[in-house]
Amino acid sequence: MAFKLASSPHLKVQLQTQSVMRRVILCALPGIAAQYYFFGWGVLIQVLLAIAVALLSESIVLKLRKRPIKPTISDNSAVLTALLIGVSLPSIAPWWIVVIGTLFAIVIVKHLYGGLGQNIFNPAMAAYVMLLISFPVQMTSWSVPLSLAQTPMDLGLTLQAIFGAMTPEQLNIYKLGFDGIAMATPLDTVKTDLSLGLTITESLSKSIFSDGYGVGWFWVNVAYLLGGIAMLKLKVIRWQISVGVIAAIFVCSSFDYLLSPDTHIGPLLQLFSGATMLAAFFIATDPVTAATSVRGRLIFGALIGVLVYVIRTYGGYPDAFAFAVLLANLCAPFIDYYVKPRSYGHRSGN
Amino acid sequence: MLTLLEQVDKGTLWRSHGGIHPPELKTLSSKTTIANFPLASHFIIPIPQVGDSALLRIKKGERVVKGQALTAGTSFAHCAVHAPTSGTITAIEQLPSNHASGLPVLSCVLTADGQDESIETITSDLSTLDNQQILKLIQNAGIAGLGGAAFPTHIKLSPVSDIELVIINGIECEPYITSDDRLMQEYSDEIISGIAIIERLLTPKRIIIAIEDNKPEAIEAMQHSLNRSELSSDNVRITKVPTKYPSGGEKQLIQILTGQEVPSGAIPAQLGMLVQNVATAYAIQDAVINGQPLISRVVTVTGLNCETPGNYWLPIGTQVQHILQTSGFKGDLSQDKIIIGGPMMGHSLPDVTAPVLKGTNCILLPSTEEIAPDQQEMPCIRCGECAVVCPALLLPQQLFWHAQAEEYDKAASFNLHDCIECGCCSYVCPSDIPLVEYYRVAKSALRTQSEEKKQADLAKQRFDARQQRLEDEKLARETKAREAAARRKNSMASADKNVVAEAMARMKAKKAAQSNTADSVAPAPVQDKKAQIAAAIARAKAKKASATTATDHPVGSDDVEVDPIDDKKAKINAAIARAKAKKAQQNNPSAKTSAPDVQVNAVDEKKAKVAAAIARAKAKKQLQADGDKTQEKVLVDNDTALATNTVPNTNKESTETTLAADTKKARIAAAVAKAKAKKQSLTSDDTEATNPNAVANDSSTDPAAESALSPAEIKKARIAAAVAKAKAKKAQAKLEEKE
Repeated sequence: MAFKLASSPHLKVQLQTQSVMRRVILCALPGIAAQYYFFGWGVLIQVLLAIAVALLSESIVLKLRKRPIKPTISDNSAVLTALLIGVSLPSIAPWWIVVIGTLFAIVIVKHLYGGLGQNIFNPAMAAYVMLLISFPVQMTSWSVPLSLAQTPMDLGLTLQAIFGAMTPEQLNIYKLGFDGIAMATPLDTVKTDLSLGLTITESLSKSIFSDGYGVGWFWVNVAYLLGGIAMLKLKVIRWQISVGVIAAIFVCSSFDYLLSPDTHIGPLLQLFSGATMLAAFFIATDPVTAATSVRGRLIFGALIGVLVYVIRTYGGYPDAFAFAVLLANLCAPFIDYYVKPRSYGHRSGN
Repeated sequence: MLTLLEQVDKGTLWRSHGGIHPPELKTLSSKTTIANFPLASHFIIPIPQVGDSALLRIKKGERVVKGQALTAGTSFAHCAVHAPTSGTITAIEQLPSNHASGLPVLSCVLTADGQDESIETITSDLSTLDNQQILKLIQNAGIAGLGGAAFPTHIKLSPVSDIELVIINGIECEPYITSDDRLMQEYSDEIISGIAIIERLLTPKRIIIAIEDNKPEAIEAMQHSLNRSELSSDNVRITKVPTKYPSGGEKQLIQILTGQEVPSGAIPAQLGMLVQNVATAYAIQDAVINGQPLISRVVTVTGLNCETPGNYWLPIGTQVQHILQTSGFKGDLSQDKIIIGGPMMGHSLPDVTAPVLKGTNCILLPSTEEIAPDQQEMPCIRCGECAVVCPALLLPQQLFWHAQAEEYDKAASFNLHDCIECGCCSYVCPSDIPLVEYYRVAKSALRTQSEEKKQADLAKQRFDARQQRLEDEKLARETKAREAAARRKNSMASADKNVVAEAMARMKAKKAAQSNTADSVAPAPVQDKKAQIAAAIARAKAKKASATTATDHPVGSDDVEVDPIDDKKAKINAAIARAKAKKAQQNNPSAKTSAPDVQVNAVDEKKAKVAAAIARAKAKKQLQADGDKTQEKVLVDNDTALATNTVPNTNKESTETTLAADTKKARIAAAVAKAKAKKQSLTSDDTEATNPNAVANDSSTDPAAESALSPAEIKKARIAAAVAKAKAKKAQAKLEEKE
């Protein structure tokens, strides 16, 4: 292209979208490893399945849209979306859950809106919400941490569970803790217990909180936090959104906790359970659907944090990142419109 | 709080937003001293100012010597152009320019004779020159900003406001370029004396020589020279600036050194600041002290495609192809770029025959590995890295979004015009979007738009002026016509020698004319005139009718706004009656009239209308007023007779005009009719006449009458009623006045 030749600058930093995406994926690996360690093979199978479906469906959509397939596929964005869906789902959710979710994310949320850079909603989270509303049973059957399970699942059993070779009765065995009681996630446990009139202290005495934070979940969050810090170091993401999310959750939960520690989860447990760190560093930071300016991103992150806290505490769901992120996605253009930085040589306000 | 100058003296530095740290790659050319280049055989000297602010001094075929001015200025903006060597002007034609577009520009082709014979240069003693002489020397030497923009220096050095701070820009933040670095190392004394000249011209409070900290040798050399010079170290200081691109940008440098921002759309002089490049300071010194015009400059020739990278004194006008040959260009012209300026802001050269210009500080001959390969543009993922590095604090992704959608006005609302095209955003963009290119396109589109708007505004001004002129002419014509009509009327009425009647008629005519002009349907002047006259006559007639009532004449019973008891009014009415009689004469087709035919036609037509309207009104009145039946009957009979008399008349004479005339006339007629109706009600009850309620009473009786009329007429009648009300009020006011 002769025209492009004429345009400065002629130097470029060699960091391209695909390498940005690749770095994000690599930084997510510690978290995935932790999930594997605590919850077994399920997460890996889900992630691989999601990636396969994502690549295949994106290729087909690109073909239908008459777009070049290879450059788009190789931008790694579909892989990242699939990975986020894979790690968000319950690890023994049936295979069709992840297939439907990924198809929905890639085909409808991403490409029907115009592909990378054009989508309004975070594809992974839109898919998650769709699945949660459509298939609430499958989407809330979290497996028990291996260390607490009555009968830990190996690879074969997990595959059987995911690909439907197990009857629901058989499957239920693996959802039981060693004490023979079906276990939920820590946040879910607390929510249920609070609704039953138990205090936080009573709830925290359950086996799932045997290490103080909810077995496995704490370390999974720590691993994602480390991955997030690595991304900050690599300048793959900027700090504003993640800090906004974490700070908002911390402030809100501290406030409630200080007022009424018996009926509210403490800020640290809030931050290190559920999907907090995964969402704060890997999901909310999706630049396409977030606000773009520095202040805008802080607001965007804080909005997610507040929404998460409100839904977790007062809403009907134990965790709420998908809803919070989608709601914040809706606000992003609005935030961008009103939070413009002051340009050089201008007075504030324009 | 320290004052700005105190902070400047302390060497305080501020932060400018964004910026990048691209590989510097300066050592390629910075290690060797500035060398001379073998003289080329041909030079191309662009003379774009010719025809604008300059005249050509030489002719084709004329021999010129080195330093001879080729142009003579016709305005202050002129920046002289000189022959870089001796030789013959072999052509003056449009040749490819040293610009990204490569568009041709008027240029002189100088074929060198190899003797390099120079004009006699006159060295000056600075102390004997006054400031104006110095500025003249600078202008005549053709000195322009050597940092790249090539803005005429003599203009910049003649600011309208006081300059408190002069910044000498030795930043040179672009990768590869080392021309200023070498110049500062080797010619620091000359630069300092150039700065001394600037100091003398502007007498600023402080001068800062700003040099990036990646040029320690240059800083040292400049410091030595500064210490040796007569410049006071209190006022002039050298400030080391951290290396970052684009610190050398004028606005960024001001921000770094003073913490102030140049307001959008303004120049630094507004802040009392002025930025000059070190190379310009050198050239000023050379021009003022040595009498040497700006005919050569230091150019960095560098890049891996260059066998002998380094800095060279290149005569301005040297063709790039000559430089390629001499410096051992290793690349392939069909593939490799030749970049004029640095890799961040320079442009690739489409035609190597283009010459070196005053603003050309670098010729970069990069190998394909050195520069960014052409990448396919990927979709923007709104990562915002561009906003992080933008030194102008813009939102490049939003600018891109709107520029791509060709919503240039929206791009402008995101301060597109504050973009300095430094290229930081494109540099960091992970999607390989050529953002700067989009902005350039958007900017030029906006420029075109504003040009077009300017043109359109001019056209509108012209149009408005023309409309105004036509309007004025029309008004003048109307005034003339009115005067003529009045004169005619005057001559008509003069037979009766009743001055008051004349005045009344004139006044009526004027009123009619006003109501005519107020109407949105402006008739052609002639028709208009006719209409006015007709209306006036109609009114006179109406008055006459009322006058007859006042004198108990059986013909009519209407009373106009006059008090029937008043003697004077009676006289007036009588006069009007007389006038009407005369008009009736005119109206008669068999009668000979002195007035032109057209006028008669119009008058007739009008009368017919008026009469018809009166008839209608009378009918209405009859319905309303039961009390005075006998009077009414007489009146109706009379008027219908009048109408039947005049209508055929009109038909005979001009059907066309009748059709055309119509609505307005009918309205006027209706108004008269209404007025009459009202007057009748006034006269029928004296107490009512003085009572404002009479109007309301009157109008309240209207609908009953109106029901007999067609919708159009109802509408007209309503308008008429309004007019009538006004008249009634006026009559009342008059009565009160009299009392």
